[in-house]
Amino acid sequence: MSRARNESAGVALLGGAAACCVGVVVALAAWLAVAGFAPFWPTSVVEVSLRDGAVVLGERVAQFDDAQVLRTSEIERIGGAYRRLRPDDIVSTALPRDVLAIELADGRRLFARDAGDAAALLAAAGAIESDVVERVAPNALGFGSRCMLFVKRVARFVAGAPDTSNISGGVLPALIGTLTLVLLMSVLAMPLGVATAMFLHQRRGAYARALRSAIDMLAGMPAILYGVLGLGLFVHGLGARVDAWFFADRLPVPTFGSGGLLWAAATLALLTLPVVVVSVERGLAGIPASLREGSLALGATREETMWRLLLPLARPAILGGFALAIARAAGSVAPLMLVGVVKLAPALPFDAHFPYFHPSAQFMHLGFSVYDASMASPDALRGVPRAYACAALLVLIVLTLNLSALVLRNRLRARQRMLEPA
Amino acid sequence: MNAAPVSVALSARDVSLWYGARQVLDAASLDVASRCITAVVGRSGSGKSSLLRCFNRLNDEIDGARVQGSVRVGELDAYARGASLSELRRRVGMVFQRPNPFPMSVHDNVGYGLRLFGLKRGAELDDRIEAALRVAGLWDEVANRLDDSALDLSFGQQQRLVIARAIAVEPEVLLLDEPASALDLAAMLRFEELLLQLASRFAIVLVTHNMQQAARVSRWMAFLHEGRVLEFGDTDAIFTNPHRRETEDFITGRIVSGD
Amino acid sequence: MFVLLLLCAIPAYLLASAASLPFAGQSPDWARLGILFGGSLRATLCALVFAVPVGIAAALFAAHFCAPRLRGWLRAALELLEAVPTVVLGLIAFASIAPWLATHVAGVVVACVVAPCALFAWGLATRTPRRRLGWMPLWGVPLVVAALVAGVVLGAGIDGTRFVPASPWNTLLVGLVLGVATLPTVYAMADDALAALPSAQTQAALALGATRWQALVTVALPAAMSGLIAAVCMAAARCFGETMIVLMASGNTPLGGFDWLGGLRSLSAELALELPRSAPSGAAWRELLLVALLLLATTMLLHAVARVMRTRLRARQVA
Repeated sequence: MSRARNESAGVALLGGAAACCVGVVVALAAWLAVAGFAPFWPTSVVEVSLRDGAVVLGERVAQFDDAQVLRTSEIERIGGAYRRLRPDDIVSTALPRDVLAIELADGRRLFARDAGDAAALLAAAGAIESDVVERVAPNALGFGSRCMLFVKRVARFVAGAPDTSNISGGVLPALIGTLTLVLLMSVLAMPLGVATAMFLHQRRGAYARALRSAIDMLAGMPAILYGVLGLGLFVHGLGARVDAWFFADRLPVPTFGSGGLLWAAATLALLTLPVVVVSVERGLAGIPASLREGSLALGATREETMWRLLLPLARPAILGGFALAIARAAGSVAPLMLVGVVKLAPALPFDAHFPYFHPSAQFMHLGFSVYDASMASPDALRGVPRAYACAALLVLIVLTLNLSALVLRNRLRARQRMLEPA
Repeated sequence: MNAAPVSVALSARDVSLWYGARQVLDAASLDVASRCITAVVGRSGSGKSSLLRCFNRLNDEIDGARVQGSVRVGELDAYARGASLSELRRRVGMVFQRPNPFPMSVHDNVGYGLRLFGLKRGAELDDRIEAALRVAGLWDEVANRLDDSALDLSFGQQQRLVIARAIAVEPEVLLLDEPASALDLAAMLRFEELLLQLASRFAIVLVTHNMQQAARVSRWMAFLHEGRVLEFGDTDAIFTNPHRRETEDFITGRIVSGD
Repeated sequence: MFVLLLLCAIPAYLLASAASLPFAGQSPDWARLGILFGGSLRATLCALVFAVPVGIAAALFAAHFCAPRLRGWLRAALELLEAVPTVVLGLIAFASIAPWLATHVAGVVVACVVAPCALFAWGLATRTPRRRLGWMPLWGVPLVVAALVAGVVLGAGIDGTRFVPASPWNTLLVGLVLGVATLPTVYAMADDALAALPSAQTQAALALGATRWQALVTVALPAAMSGLIAAVCMAAARCFGETMIVLMASGNTPLGGFDWLGGLRSLSAELALELPRSAPSGAAWRELLLVALLLLATTMLLHAVARVMRTRLRARQVA
């Protein structure tokens, strides 16, 4: 039957497309996991003898068709000691067991043949013993100790401060900045969003319909436009006013008149508001009218019904909206670039000085770190792996926040279902 | 399980059906006679619709459904290896509980099955569409709106449209799955008249939970209870002299409740 | 009410500020605006070329042939993909795919032709039982990967100068990655459109003797068509406004023309790059507001089309 054959070919095509989708997701996850964590895995130090008689020690950091790149001891500055070696330059390559790899607090890496050599290198680099953050003999490490070192490095990356040029070191400020931003955004967006949804839910007619479609449309607006709005309205508009009224003594140095945490959070709140409204309203609409009427029939007012019955029942929907909002907020970097994210802000937005929390402070963000490390790092061979590490961390955060909200939602849903008659 | 009719259009033997681990039908056997109405009655959930869907293998489309037993339509063994689904379904038409016209014109709705089996445009297609619509009693109402969307027809018209769609390919057996359950009494009686007319051309299997309806229109009747055919035979005989308690309960219960 | 005012603020703000700034003497740089618009358009079209066929085909498969359990997983997997920040996709494009793509353009083109052909031929050759076909998205992955790899290898044999990109960061790269980013949008919306169709119609078609394929092509597809068009419009709107991927993968060179291997600069990238540097109420600022307005108008237009289409879809379902 040729028709059956044609059809099975058609189905195979469609199935192949579906397989493509699965493949893309799997490949992306695998690639991120590998590329995101590879920078922390201890690599071996090679000793290369060159044709001109020189012997260099270093880590192989890149491999091209016609050459490999070796990072040798960075005595002067970080990223200043890469050597490009062509195969015909190399006489022999060895992996001596007792080589030492030393990492300094400013990110520089030194490779020494032995302890004496190490002391000389440290002196040449102008560093003292307390600058050393890591000192290992990588070639002598077994698998177990490599794993230990890997974990230590990941911990240092997540919980450490960056070096002064944000080429290496930890990403704690960016991590805190991301989380604070999401938190602040939720505080701003969730109550407003739920209130709007409740308001809309009670209205019918052309007016509400128009509003609803406007909100729908806003949910699909490009994020960068919200950035433009935040910059124009919040930073240059509202912020400049606030400065003129309350911080006049500090002008012309802007306090709220330049991008900062608060404005970024407000921008993200605007960005996520439509998403929250749509999803909460859908949840409210999904509650059977009979429940509402039952409550009204018992003598409850509309407001009481809303607060006591509908809102608790809509909790899963609210959490679902929350999850969407988080995914959208934590993942959008473009608007932040306009309203106050910076490459390097070593100070956290909260400290021991009154008022403890500084919403006008500029901040770091993991997503922007990804962009910055890959596109604008002065040391590309460190920048890209660092960007991947930031990316893996960011994806981990987004997925964790997202999944926990979804799990919570499903639990609530299951509990509500138990209350319903079978 | 007695009383084999004179001419059998469809015969089911020991049909058992599982949805996953749940058994829905247990060795149901049934003969459907040509040119008359066989009613399948029973409580909700007794497996009436599922049995119907075994006859045209529509259960195949449900994931996890498993069928045992045999169904024969004429010489065609429905569950034989390599049996053609499309041939089976051409010979066994089906009408669902709620009318489900396709979102296309009246003409294309009725012509859908014909086109599937290779009848393209042309006079013959139009003729057969007209014939089907006439048999379904719809022709006079839609003759000059054949190109309107079928979704614009009234509920009762849609009902007859899907019947016309089913009979356009001239099936041998017509399966009706509670087709009158959403009609008011007057419409239902008109619909029953149509059924009796149709019975002069096709073998009809009518699933219903309305005993009066079964009594009014059917020649043969099967009583289904928890997936088994408890009783099968002449409708009048079952009504006057049910062999099984369950059948009697069902009949009398229905009559008492005045449905 | 305050919220609602806030929500309507974007268009109002942009319009008001653009109108209030006097076009003192000089008219805006229309040519540059056109080039930027063209850049966005090119990126969008190229992304749709990848995302639309794959996304819609996958949704069709999920709706009509997929094992139901797998359908849920497929959706969850794509939702996961949607949650991945676009800056991450941009990074992958910029740092990992770009260097590879620079030398493998011909391979990609050949792979895009070979893979569907191989699938089609495979489908012609084997008539697999339907149950197993329902799980094809899983066991089909190696098949697709093999076909793609074969395509790339075949393509490596071609060394035509036509396939040498002007820059490693080009439209094709943007399209590929942006396509991946919009895949979830296309899939989810197409899936919704197909799921909204009454299953009774498909059932009726099957009962009339149609195969699943025929039921799909003759009943479901025409009925869902406006929904599918809406899906494409929404995806286009998303691509058009997407910033990070374009910013990182396009090279940001304001080039005109429709060279699919050349770099581009989009409206959104222009905003992200130039706005932080420009002082408010300057000439540059005004130009950038125009850029934002253009972006806004285009996305709103696409959304409006999608909305009309969805209304039509709903109207068709009312039985």
